Amino acid sequence: MRLMLISCEVLFREMCDAAARSPHQVDVEFLPKGLHDLGGKGMAVEMQRRIDAVPAGKYDAILLGYGLCGNGLHGISARHTMLVLPRAHDCIALLMGSREKHQQYFDEHPGTYYRSTGWLERGKGLQQLTHVTTGIDVTLDQMIEKYGEDNGRYLHEELTRYRSAYTRLTYIATGLEADSRFEEEARWEAAERGWEFERLAGNLVLVHRLVSGDWGGGDFVIAQPGERFRASYDDSIVRIEERA
Amino acid sequence: MPDLQKLYDAVLSGDRNTAVAVTQEAIATGGDPLELISKYMVPAMDEVGRLFECEEYFVPELLLSARAMKGSLELLRPLLAARGAQPVGRVVIGTVKGDLHDIGKNLVASLLEGGGFEVIDFGADVAPEKFIAAVQEKGANIVALSALLTVTMPAMRTTIDALKQAGVRERIKVMVGGAPVTEQFAAEIGADGYSDNASAAVTLARRLTATAVRP
Ligand code: B12
Repeated sequence: MRLMLISCEVLFREMCDAAARSPHQVDVEFLPKGLHDLGGKGMAVEMQRRIDAVPAGKYDAILLGYGLCGNGLHGISARHTMLVLPRAHDCIALLMGSREKHQQYFDEHPGTYYRSTGWLERGKGLQQLTHVTTGIDVTLDQMIEKYGEDNGRYLHEELTRYRSAYTRLTYIATGLEADSRFEEEARWEAAERGWEFERLAGNLVLVHRLVSGDWGGGDFVIAQPGERFRASYDDSIVRIEERA
Repeated sequence: MPDLQKLYDAVLSGDRNTAVAVTQEAIATGGDPLELISKYMVPAMDEVGRLFECEEYFVPELLLSARAMKGSLELLRPLLAARGAQPVGRVVIGTVKGDLHDIGKNLVASLLEGGGFEVIDFGADVAPEKFIAAVQEKGANIVALSALLTVTMPAMRTTIDALKQAGVRERIKVMVGGAPVTEQFAAEIGADGYSDNASAAVTLARRLTATAVRP
Protein backbone atom coordinates (compact mmCIF):
# COMPACT_ATOMS: atom_id res chain seq x y z
CA MET A 1 0.00 0.00 0.00
CA ARG A 2 0.98 3.60 -0.39
CA LEU A 3 0.15 5.50 2.79
CA MET A 4 0.19 9.13 3.83
CA LEU A 5 0.88 9.68 7.52
CA ILE A 6 -0.07 13.03 9.00
CA SER A 7 1.14 13.17 12.57
CA CYS A 8 1.70 15.51 15.46
CA GLU A 9 5.41 16.18 15.86
CA VAL A 10 5.14 15.18 19.51
CA LEU A 11 5.36 11.59 18.17
CA PHE A 12 8.22 12.36 15.78
CA ARG A 13 10.66 9.67 16.90
CA GLU A 14 7.96 7.04 17.38
CA MET A 15 6.40 7.64 13.96
CA CYS A 16 9.75 7.71 12.15
CA ASP A 17 10.62 4.36 13.72
CA ALA A 18 7.28 2.91 12.70
CA ALA A 19 7.53 4.29 9.15
CA ALA A 20 11.01 2.81 8.75
CA ARG A 21 9.74 -0.62 9.76
CA SER A 22 6.46 -0.54 7.86
CA PRO A 23 5.97 -3.06 5.06
CA HIS A 24 4.28 -0.24 3.15
CA GLN A 25 5.53 2.88 1.44
CA VAL A 26 4.79 5.69 3.84
CA ASP A 27 5.02 9.42 3.19
CA VAL A 28 5.13 11.46 6.35
CA GLU A 29 4.07 14.97 7.25
CA PHE A 30 4.48 16.34 10.74
CA LEU A 31 2.35 19.18 12.04
CA PRO A 32 3.39 21.46 14.90
CA LYS A 33 2.63 20.38 18.44
CA GLY A 34 1.42 23.91 19.09
CA LEU A 35 -1.70 23.14 17.02
CA HIS A 36 -3.25 21.48 20.00
CA ASP A 37 -3.11 24.66 21.98
CA LEU A 38 -5.58 26.22 19.58
CA GLY A 39 -8.39 24.25 21.19
CA GLY A 40 -10.61 21.71 19.47
CA LYS A 41 -12.22 23.99 16.90
CA GLY A 42 -9.07 25.79 15.82
CA MET A 43 -7.13 22.56 15.60
CA ALA A 44 -9.86 20.85 13.56
CA VAL A 45 -9.81 23.66 10.98
CA GLU A 46 -6.08 23.22 10.48
CA MET A 47 -6.28 19.40 10.41
CA GLN A 48 -8.98 19.57 7.76
CA ARG A 49 -6.90 21.97 5.67
CA ARG A 50 -3.92 19.58 5.72
CA ILE A 51 -6.06 16.59 4.82
CA ASP A 52 -7.69 18.49 1.97
CA ALA A 53 -4.22 19.22 0.58
CA VAL A 54 -3.47 15.50 0.07
CA PRO A 55 -3.84 14.76 -3.66
CA ALA A 56 -6.72 12.50 -4.73
CA GLY A 57 -5.94 8.97 -5.90
CA LYS A 58 -2.33 8.93 -4.76
CA TYR A 59 -2.70 7.01 -1.48
CA ASP A 60 -4.58 3.97 -0.27
CA ALA A 61 -5.16 5.63 3.08
CA ILE A 62 -4.34 8.71 5.11
CA LEU A 63 -3.12 7.78 8.59
CA LEU A 64 -3.57 10.22 11.45
CA GLY A 65 -0.96 10.23 14.19
CA TYR A 66 -3.39 11.71 16.69
CA GLY A 67 -6.08 10.89 19.17
CA LEU A 68 -9.32 12.79 19.67
CA CYS A 69 -7.04 15.54 21.10
CA GLY A 70 -9.61 17.65 22.90
CA ASN A 71 -12.01 17.42 19.92
CA GLY A 72 -9.28 18.53 17.53
CA LEU A 73 -10.21 15.58 15.30
CA HIS A 74 -13.97 15.93 15.79
CA GLY A 75 -15.76 16.54 12.49
CA ILE A 76 -12.77 15.65 10.29
CA SER A 77 -13.32 13.90 6.94
CA ALA A 78 -11.56 13.30 3.62
CA ARG A 79 -13.25 13.71 0.27
CA HIS A 80 -11.46 11.00 -1.66
CA THR A 81 -9.24 8.84 0.53
CA MET A 82 -9.92 6.64 3.52
CA LEU A 83 -8.80 7.99 6.92
CA VAL A 84 -7.45 5.87 9.79
CA LEU A 85 -7.36 7.18 13.35
CA PRO A 86 -6.38 5.33 16.54
CA ARG A 87 -9.05 5.28 19.25
CA ALA A 88 -7.25 7.34 21.86
CA HIS A 89 -7.88 10.50 23.81
CA ASP A 90 -4.45 11.88 23.02
CA CYS A 91 -0.77 11.10 22.45
CA ILE A 92 -0.36 9.84 26.01
CA ALA A 93 -2.50 6.80 25.13
CA LEU A 94 -0.47 6.26 21.92
CA LEU A 95 2.70 6.24 24.00
CA MET A 96 1.25 3.84 26.56
CA GLY A 97 -0.02 1.38 23.98
CA SER A 98 -3.77 1.35 24.60
CA ARG A 99 -6.64 3.55 25.62
CA GLU A 100 -7.44 1.17 28.47
CA LYS A 101 -3.93 1.44 29.91
CA HIS A 102 -4.09 5.22 29.58
CA GLN A 103 -7.46 5.45 31.35
CA GLN A 104 -6.31 3.15 34.12
CA TYR A 105 -3.06 4.99 34.70
CA PHE A 106 -4.84 8.33 34.58
CA ASP A 107 -7.45 7.23 37.14
CA GLU A 108 -4.85 5.77 39.46
CA HIS A 109 -2.47 8.73 39.26
CA PRO A 110 -4.30 12.03 39.45
CA GLY A 111 -2.14 15.15 39.36
CA THR A 112 0.32 13.71 36.89
CA TYR A 113 2.13 15.65 34.22
CA TYR A 114 3.37 13.53 31.32
CA ARG A 115 6.64 13.75 29.45
CA SER A 116 8.20 11.83 26.57
CA THR A 117 10.94 12.68 24.08
CA GLY A 118 8.46 14.68 22.00
CA TRP A 119 7.04 16.46 25.04
CA LEU A 120 10.59 17.47 25.95
CA GLU A 121 12.24 18.40 22.68
CA ARG A 122 9.25 19.65 20.70
CA GLY A 123 8.40 22.90 22.43
CA LYS A 124 8.70 22.72 26.17
CA GLY A 125 5.49 22.69 28.12
CA LEU A 126 2.86 24.10 25.88
CA GLN A 127 5.21 26.80 24.72
CA GLN A 128 4.85 27.20 20.98
CA LEU A 129 1.54 29.00 20.73
CA THR A 130 0.24 28.84 24.22
CA HIS A 131 2.51 31.30 25.77
CA VAL A 132 1.00 34.12 23.84
CA THR A 133 -2.55 32.97 24.35
CA THR A 134 -2.57 31.56 27.88
CA GLY A 135 0.61 32.93 29.40
CA ILE A 136 1.67 29.44 30.56
CA ASP A 137 5.48 29.17 30.78
CA VAL A 138 6.08 32.88 30.27
CA THR A 139 8.82 34.04 32.63
CA LEU A 140 8.23 36.56 35.39
CA ASP A 141 10.47 39.10 33.65
CA GLN A 142 8.56 38.81 30.39
CA MET A 143 5.26 39.21 32.22
CA ILE A 144 6.45 42.31 34.03
CA GLU A 145 7.79 43.78 30.83
CA LYS A 146 4.47 43.31 29.08
CA TYR A 147 1.96 44.01 31.86
CA GLY A 148 3.85 46.14 34.37
CA GLU A 149 5.13 45.25 37.83
CA ASP A 150 1.86 44.71 39.70
CA ASN A 151 -0.15 42.92 37.02
CA GLY A 152 2.91 41.04 35.77
CA ARG A 153 3.57 39.52 39.17
CA TYR A 154 -0.07 38.66 39.61
CA LEU A 155 -0.25 36.89 36.24
CA HIS A 156 2.93 34.97 36.87
CA GLU A 157 1.60 33.76 40.19
CA GLU A 158 -1.78 32.77 38.74
CA LEU A 159 -0.29 30.98 35.76
CA THR A 160 2.33 29.01 37.63
CA ARG A 161 0.02 27.93 40.45
CA TYR A 162 -0.70 24.70 38.57
CA ARG A 163 2.81 23.57 39.45
CA SER A 164 1.84 23.06 43.06
CA ALA A 165 -1.38 21.27 42.03
CA TYR A 166 0.58 18.52 40.30
CA THR A 167 2.31 15.87 42.39
CA ARG A 168 4.00 13.62 39.87
CA LEU A 169 5.85 13.69 36.59
CA THR A 170 5.70 10.51 34.59
CA TYR A 171 8.29 10.06 31.90
CA ILE A 172 7.19 7.59 29.26
CA ALA A 173 10.28 5.85 27.94
CA THR A 174 9.83 4.26 24.53
CA GLY A 175 13.28 2.72 24.07
CA LEU A 176 13.93 4.96 21.06
CA GLU A 177 15.96 7.48 23.02
CA ALA A 178 19.58 7.75 21.92
CA ASP A 179 20.84 8.15 25.47
CA SER A 180 19.65 9.06 28.94
CA ARG A 181 19.39 12.79 28.31
CA PHE A 182 15.61 12.89 28.07
CA GLU A 183 15.05 10.91 31.21
CA GLU A 184 17.59 13.06 33.05
CA GLU A 185 15.87 16.22 31.92
CA ALA A 186 12.51 14.88 33.05
CA ARG A 187 13.98 13.89 36.42
CA TRP A 188 15.47 17.33 36.78
CA GLU A 189 12.15 18.98 35.96
CA ALA A 190 10.31 16.86 38.52
CA ALA A 191 12.87 17.69 41.20
CA GLU A 192 12.76 21.38 40.31
CA ARG A 193 8.97 21.50 40.68
CA GLY A 194 8.91 19.27 43.74
CA TRP A 195 7.05 16.48 41.94
CA GLU A 196 7.53 12.77 42.37
CA PHE A 197 9.26 11.19 39.36
CA GLU A 198 8.17 8.00 37.70
CA ARG A 199 9.60 6.25 34.68
CA LEU A 200 6.99 4.29 32.82
CA ALA A 201 7.88 1.88 30.05
CA GLY A 202 5.95 2.94 26.96
CA ASN A 203 4.41 0.63 24.42
CA LEU A 204 4.34 1.57 20.76
CA VAL A 205 2.03 -1.18 19.55
CA LEU A 206 -0.69 1.27 18.47
CA VAL A 207 1.80 3.45 16.61
CA HIS A 208 3.27 0.44 14.80
CA ARG A 209 -0.10 -1.04 13.96
CA LEU A 210 -1.27 2.30 12.56
CA VAL A 211 1.68 2.64 10.25
CA SER A 212 1.91 -1.01 9.22
CA GLY A 213 -1.73 -1.27 8.20
CA ASP A 214 -2.93 -3.56 11.00
CA TRP A 215 -6.18 -1.75 11.76
CA GLY A 216 -8.45 -4.52 12.99
CA GLY A 217 -9.76 -5.37 16.44
CA GLY A 218 -11.58 -2.15 17.22
CA ASP A 219 -8.52 -0.09 18.11
CA PHE A 220 -8.82 2.15 15.06
CA VAL A 221 -11.66 4.10 13.49
CA ILE A 222 -11.80 4.11 9.72
CA ALA A 223 -13.65 6.86 7.86
CA GLN A 224 -14.51 6.10 4.25
CA PRO A 225 -14.42 9.11 1.88
CA GLY A 226 -17.07 11.60 2.95
CA GLU A 227 -17.56 10.09 6.41
CA ARG A 228 -16.82 12.19 9.48
CA PHE A 229 -15.21 11.42 12.84
CA ARG A 230 -17.22 12.31 15.92
CA ALA A 231 -16.37 12.33 19.62
CA SER A 232 -18.42 9.50 21.10
CA TYR A 233 -18.10 10.41 24.80
CA ASP A 234 -17.86 6.76 25.81
CA ASP A 235 -15.17 4.06 25.91
CA SER A 236 -14.96 3.98 22.12
CA ILE A 237 -13.75 7.63 22.20
CA VAL A 238 -14.31 8.27 18.48
CA ARG A 239 -16.98 7.02 16.10
CA ILE A 240 -18.23 7.71 12.60
CA GLU A 241 -21.04 10.21 12.26
CA GLU A 242 -24.25 8.73 10.87
CA ARG A 243 -25.13 10.22 7.55
CA ALA A 244 -28.13 12.51 7.51
CA MET B 1 -19.12 61.62 42.10
CA PRO B 2 -16.16 60.41 40.00
CA ASP B 3 -16.45 59.83 36.28
CA LEU B 4 -17.72 56.25 36.32
CA GLN B 5 -16.72 55.68 32.74
CA LYS B 6 -13.26 55.36 34.29
CA LEU B 7 -14.45 52.29 36.16
CA TYR B 8 -15.60 50.75 32.90
CA ASP B 9 -12.26 51.56 31.28
CA ALA B 10 -10.25 50.24 34.23
CA VAL B 11 -12.04 46.89 34.17
CA LEU B 12 -11.69 46.69 30.41
CA SER B 13 -7.97 47.38 30.53
CA GLY B 14 -7.33 45.28 33.63
CA ASP B 15 -6.21 48.23 35.75
CA ARG B 16 -7.03 47.11 39.27
CA ASN B 17 -5.61 50.13 41.05
CA THR B 18 -7.75 52.57 39.10
CA ALA B 19 -10.83 50.35 39.47
CA VAL B 20 -10.35 50.32 43.23
CA ALA B 21 -9.68 54.07 43.44
CA VAL B 22 -12.75 55.01 41.40
CA THR B 23 -14.89 52.64 43.45
CA GLN B 24 -13.65 54.16 46.71
CA GLU B 25 -14.40 57.62 45.46
CA ALA B 26 -17.84 56.59 44.25
CA ILE B 27 -18.67 55.03 47.62
CA ALA B 28 -17.47 58.14 49.47
CA THR B 29 -19.76 60.32 47.37
CA GLY B 30 -22.79 58.11 47.84
CA GLY B 31 -22.73 56.11 44.62
CA ASP B 32 -25.11 53.18 44.30
CA PRO B 33 -23.15 49.89 44.49
CA LEU B 34 -25.65 48.04 42.34
CA GLU B 35 -25.43 50.64 39.64
CA LEU B 36 -21.63 50.51 39.65
CA ILE B 37 -21.80 46.79 39.11
CA SER B 38 -24.60 46.53 36.59
CA LYS B 39 -23.99 49.68 34.56
CA TYR B 40 -20.21 49.69 34.44
CA MET B 41 -18.49 46.52 35.55
CA VAL B 42 -20.76 43.93 33.98
CA PRO B 43 -20.84 45.68 30.58
CA ALA B 44 -17.04 46.03 30.75
CA MET B 45 -16.66 42.29 31.40
CA ASP B 46 -19.07 41.54 28.54
CA GLU B 47 -16.85 43.59 26.26
CA VAL B 48 -13.80 41.72 27.59
CA GLY B 49 -15.56 38.46 26.69
CA ARG B 50 -16.26 39.75 23.21
CA LEU B 51 -12.64 40.79 22.67
CA PHE B 52 -11.56 37.30 23.81
CA GLU B 53 -13.96 35.68 21.35
CA CYS B 54 -12.49 37.64 18.45
CA GLU B 55 -8.95 36.95 19.66
CA GLU B 56 -7.98 40.49 20.49
CA TYR B 57 -7.71 39.51 24.16
CA PHE B 58 -6.07 36.35 25.44
CA VAL B 59 -6.05 34.60 28.79
CA PRO B 60 -3.73 37.11 30.57
CA GLU B 61 -6.01 40.02 29.63
CA LEU B 62 -9.05 38.07 30.86
CA LEU B 63 -7.37 37.39 34.16
CA LEU B 64 -6.41 41.03 34.63
CA SER B 65 -9.91 42.31 33.91
CA ALA B 66 -11.37 39.78 36.32
CA ARG B 67 -8.83 40.94 38.90
CA ALA B 68 -9.82 44.59 38.45
CA MET B 69 -13.50 43.71 38.77
CA LYS B 70 -12.84 41.65 41.90
CA GLY B 71 -10.89 44.50 43.49
CA SER B 72 -13.89 46.74 43.12
CA LEU B 73 -16.38 44.06 44.17
CA GLU B 74 -14.53 43.49 47.43
CA LEU B 75 -15.33 47.06 48.40
CA LEU B 76 -18.93 46.91 47.26
CA ARG B 77 -19.92 43.55 48.68
CA PRO B 78 -20.03 44.63 52.35
CA LEU B 79 -22.25 47.56 51.36
CA LEU B 80 -24.64 45.28 49.55
CA ALA B 81 -24.69 42.88 52.47
CA ALA B 82 -25.36 45.73 54.92
CA ARG B 83 -28.40 46.65 52.86
CA GLY B 84 -29.61 43.09 53.22
CA ALA B 85 -29.25 42.41 49.50
CA GLN B 86 -29.47 38.67 48.84
CA PRO B 87 -27.14 36.94 46.38
CA VAL B 88 -28.84 36.01 43.12
CA GLY B 89 -27.98 32.40 43.89
CA ARG B 90 -25.36 30.23 45.49
CA VAL B 91 -23.05 28.40 43.10
CA VAL B 92 -20.60 25.67 43.93
CA ILE B 93 -18.02 25.40 41.15
CA GLY B 94 -15.06 23.12 40.47
CA THR B 95 -13.12 21.22 37.83
CA VAL B 96 -14.10 17.56 37.97
CA LYS B 97 -12.10 14.73 39.47
CA GLY B 98 -8.82 13.91 37.74
CA ASP B 99 -8.68 17.20 35.86
CA LEU B 100 -6.34 19.98 36.95
CA HIS B 101 -7.14 22.64 34.37
CA ASP B 102 -8.61 25.64 36.15
CA ILE B 103 -8.08 28.82 34.14
CA GLY B 104 -11.50 28.74 32.44
CA LYS B 105 -13.23 27.66 35.63
CA ASN B 106 -11.66 30.56 37.55
CA LEU B 107 -12.93 33.03 34.98
CA VAL B 108 -16.43 31.62 35.16
CA ALA B 109 -16.27 31.88 38.97
CA SER B 110 -15.15 35.54 38.83
CA LEU B 111 -17.85 36.51 36.39
CA LEU B 112 -20.51 34.75 38.42
CA GLU B 113 -19.40 36.79 41.42
CA GLY B 114 -19.59 39.92 39.32
CA GLY B 115 -23.09 38.83 38.32
CA GLY B 116 -24.21 38.82 41.95
CA PHE B 117 -23.83 35.14 42.76
CA GLU B 118 -22.27 33.80 45.90
CA VAL B 119 -19.57 31.44 44.67
CA ILE B 120 -18.03 28.52 46.52
CA ASP B 121 -14.95 27.57 44.49
CA PHE B 122 -13.52 24.14 45.25
CA GLY B 123 -10.66 24.44 42.78
CA ALA B 124 -9.65 21.56 40.53
CA ASP B 125 -9.77 17.74 40.82
CA VAL B 126 -12.98 17.87 42.84
CA ALA B 127 -14.62 14.59 43.88
CA PRO B 128 -18.42 14.21 43.58
CA GLU B 129 -18.78 13.93 47.37
CA LYS B 130 -17.53 17.48 47.79
CA PHE B 131 -20.22 18.84 45.49
CA ILE B 132 -22.85 16.84 47.37
CA ALA B 133 -21.60 18.22 50.69
CA ALA B 134 -21.78 21.78 49.37
CA VAL B 135 -25.40 21.28 48.39
CA GLN B 136 -26.34 19.62 51.67
CA GLU B 137 -24.35 21.75 54.07
CA LYS B 138 -23.93 25.07 52.32
CA GLY B 139 -27.21 25.24 50.48
CA ALA B 140 -25.73 25.67 47.01
CA ASN B 141 -28.50 25.73 44.43
CA ILE B 142 -26.32 25.56 41.32
CA VAL B 143 -23.52 23.08 40.74
CA ALA B 144 -21.12 24.22 38.01
CA LEU B 145 -18.71 21.64 36.59
CA SER B 146 -15.73 22.27 34.35
CA ALA B 147 -13.65 19.73 32.37
CA LEU B 148 -10.87 20.33 29.85
CA LEU B 149 -9.94 16.75 29.05
CA THR B 150 -12.10 14.33 27.11
CA VAL B 151 -10.60 11.81 29.55
CA THR B 152 -12.33 13.50 32.48
CA MET B 153 -15.62 14.41 30.79
CA PRO B 154 -17.13 11.11 32.02
CA ALA B 155 -16.51 12.40 35.56
CA MET B 156 -19.20 15.01 34.85
CA ARG B 157 -21.68 12.23 34.31
CA THR B 158 -20.44 10.44 37.44
CA THR B 159 -20.86 13.62 39.46
CA ILE B 160 -24.42 14.16 38.25
CA ASP B 161 -25.23 10.52 38.98
CA ALA B 162 -23.76 10.89 42.48
CA LEU B 163 -25.94 13.96 43.07
CA LYS B 164 -28.96 11.85 42.10
CA GLN B 165 -27.86 9.02 44.37
CA ALA B 166 -27.52 11.43 47.26
CA GLY B 167 -31.08 12.58 46.62
CA VAL B 168 -30.17 16.23 46.00
CA ARG B 169 -30.37 16.38 42.21
CA GLU B 170 -33.96 17.71 42.23
CA ARG B 171 -33.05 20.62 44.48
CA ILE B 172 -30.36 22.04 42.28
CA LYS B 173 -29.43 22.94 38.73
CA VAL B 174 -26.29 21.62 37.11
CA MET B 175 -24.35 23.57 34.49
CA VAL B 176 -21.33 22.28 32.64
CA GLY B 177 -18.57 23.73 30.45
CA GLY B 178 -14.93 23.60 29.37
CA ALA B 179 -13.41 23.51 25.89
CA PRO B 180 -14.28 19.91 24.83
CA VAL B 181 -17.79 19.94 26.33
CA THR B 182 -20.69 20.36 23.92
CA GLU B 183 -24.39 21.14 24.18
CA GLN B 184 -25.12 17.61 23.04
CA PHE B 185 -22.91 16.06 25.71
CA ALA B 186 -24.53 18.25 28.36
CA ALA B 187 -27.95 17.00 27.33
CA GLU B 188 -26.76 13.40 27.23
CA ILE B 189 -25.51 13.40 30.82
CA GLY B 190 -28.60 15.18 32.10
CA ALA B 191 -27.11 18.60 32.88
CA ASP B 192 -29.51 21.56 32.94
CA GLY B 193 -27.32 23.89 30.96
CA TYR B 194 -24.11 24.42 29.00
CA SER B 195 -22.28 27.46 27.76
CA ASP B 196 -19.01 27.87 25.93
CA ASN B 197 -17.84 31.08 27.57
CA ALA B 198 -17.84 32.86 30.90
CA SER B 199 -20.24 35.73 30.11
CA ALA B 200 -22.81 33.33 28.74
CA ALA B 201 -22.32 31.23 31.88
CA VAL B 202 -23.66 34.13 33.96
CA THR B 203 -26.74 34.52 31.75
CA LEU B 204 -27.24 30.77 31.96
CA ALA B 205 -26.90 30.75 35.76
CA ARG B 206 -29.50 33.54 35.99
CA ARG B 207 -31.90 31.59 33.83
CA LEU B 208 -31.34 28.46 35.89
CA THR B 209 -31.85 30.19 39.26
CA ALA B 210 -35.10 31.67 38.04
CA THR B 211 -36.41 28.11 38.03
CA ALA B 212 -34.39 26.78 41.00
CA VAL B 213 -35.11 26.74 44.72
CA ARG B 214 -33.72 29.88 46.37
CA PRO B 215 -30.92 29.46 48.94
C1 B12 C 1 -3.38 25.85 29.50
C2 B12 C 1 -3.44 24.34 29.30
C3 B12 C 1 -2.81 23.53 30.26
C4 B12 C 1 -2.16 24.06 31.53
C5 B12 C 1 -3.27 24.25 32.59
C6 B12 C 1 -3.03 25.40 33.57
C7 B12 C 1 -4.24 25.64 34.43
N1 B12 C 1 -4.00 26.20 35.57
O1 B12 C 1 -5.38 25.35 34.08
C8 B12 C 1 -1.16 22.91 31.88
C9 B12 C 1 0.16 23.19 31.18
C10 B12 C 1 -0.89 22.68 33.36
C11 B12 C 1 -1.87 21.72 31.20
C12 B12 C 1 -1.69 20.40 31.58
C13 B12 C 1 -2.18 19.32 30.86
N2 B12 C 1 -2.85 19.38 29.68
CO1 B12 C 1 -3.61 21.00 28.95
N3 B12 C 1 -4.19 22.48 27.96
C14 B12 C 1 -4.13 23.78 28.17
C15 B12 C 1 -4.76 24.52 26.96
C16 B12 C 1 -3.63 24.96 26.03
C17 B12 C 1 -5.62 25.73 27.28
C18 B12 C 1 -6.71 25.55 28.34
C19 B12 C 1 -7.18 26.92 28.83
O2 B12 C 1 -6.85 27.31 29.94
N4 B12 C 1 -7.88 27.66 27.98
C20 B12 C 1 -8.35 29.03 28.27
C21 B12 C 1 -9.70 29.04 29.02
C22 B12 C 1 -10.16 30.47 29.23
O3 B12 C 1 -10.66 28.37 28.22
P1 B12 C 1 -11.59 27.19 28.77
O4 B12 C 1 -10.90 26.46 29.84
O5 B12 C 1 -12.14 26.45 27.63
O6 B12 C 1 -12.79 27.96 29.50
C23 B12 C 1 -13.78 28.76 28.85
C24 B12 C 1 -15.03 27.97 28.41
O7 B12 C 1 -14.76 26.62 28.08
C25 B12 C 1 -16.01 28.13 29.52
N5 B12 C 1 -15.98 27.23 30.68
C26 B12 C 1 -14.94 26.61 31.28
N6 B12 C 1 -15.35 25.93 32.36
C27 B12 C 1 -16.68 26.10 32.47
C28 B12 C 1 -17.61 25.64 33.39
C29 B12 C 1 -18.96 25.97 33.27
C30 B12 C 1 -19.94 25.47 34.28
C31 B12 C 1 -19.38 26.78 32.16
C32 B12 C 1 -20.82 27.08 32.00
C33 B12 C 1 -18.45 27.26 31.23
C34 B12 C 1 -17.11 26.92 31.38
O8 B12 C 1 -15.73 29.45 29.97
C35 B12 C 1 -14.31 29.70 29.94
C36 B12 C 1 -14.05 31.16 29.71
O9 B12 C 1 -14.64 31.67 28.53
C37 B12 C 1 -5.64 23.37 26.34
C38 B12 C 1 -5.95 23.49 24.85
C39 B12 C 1 -7.15 24.37 24.63
N7 B12 C 1 -6.98 25.40 23.87
O10 B12 C 1 -8.22 24.11 25.18
C40 B12 C 1 -4.79 22.12 26.67
C41 B12 C 1 -5.45 20.74 26.77
C42 B12 C 1 -6.79 20.84 27.49
N8 B12 C 1 -4.50 20.00 27.59
C43 B12 C 1 -4.30 18.79 27.21
C44 B12 C 1 -3.42 17.85 27.84
C45 B12 C 1 -3.18 16.54 27.10
C46 B12 C 1 -2.82 18.15 29.08
C47 B12 C 1 -1.95 17.18 29.92
C48 B12 C 1 -2.46 15.74 30.03
C49 B12 C 1 -0.54 17.29 29.29
C50 B12 C 1 0.58 16.46 29.93
N9 B12 C 1 1.65 16.31 29.19
O11 B12 C 1 0.52 16.01 31.04
C51 B12 C 1 -1.97 17.90 31.29
C52 B12 C 1 -3.22 17.54 32.15
C53 B12 C 1 -3.02 16.76 33.39
C54 B12 C 1 -4.29 16.72 34.25
N10 B12 C 1 -4.41 15.66 35.01
O12 B12 C 1 -5.13 17.58 34.22
C55 B12 C 1 -5.15 18.44 25.99
C56 B12 C 1 -6.35 17.56 26.35
C57 B12 C 1 -6.56 16.38 25.42
C58 B12 C 1 -7.57 15.46 26.02
N11 B12 C 1 -7.14 14.27 26.37
O13 B12 C 1 -8.72 15.79 26.18
C59 B12 C 1 -5.54 19.86 25.45
C60 B12 C 1 -6.90 19.94 24.77
C61 B12 C 1 -4.47 20.16 24.41
C62 B12 C 1 -4.50 19.11 23.28
N12 B12 C 1 -5.24 19.30 22.24
O14 B12 C 1 -3.84 18.10 23.37
N13 B12 C 1 -2.69 22.16 30.19
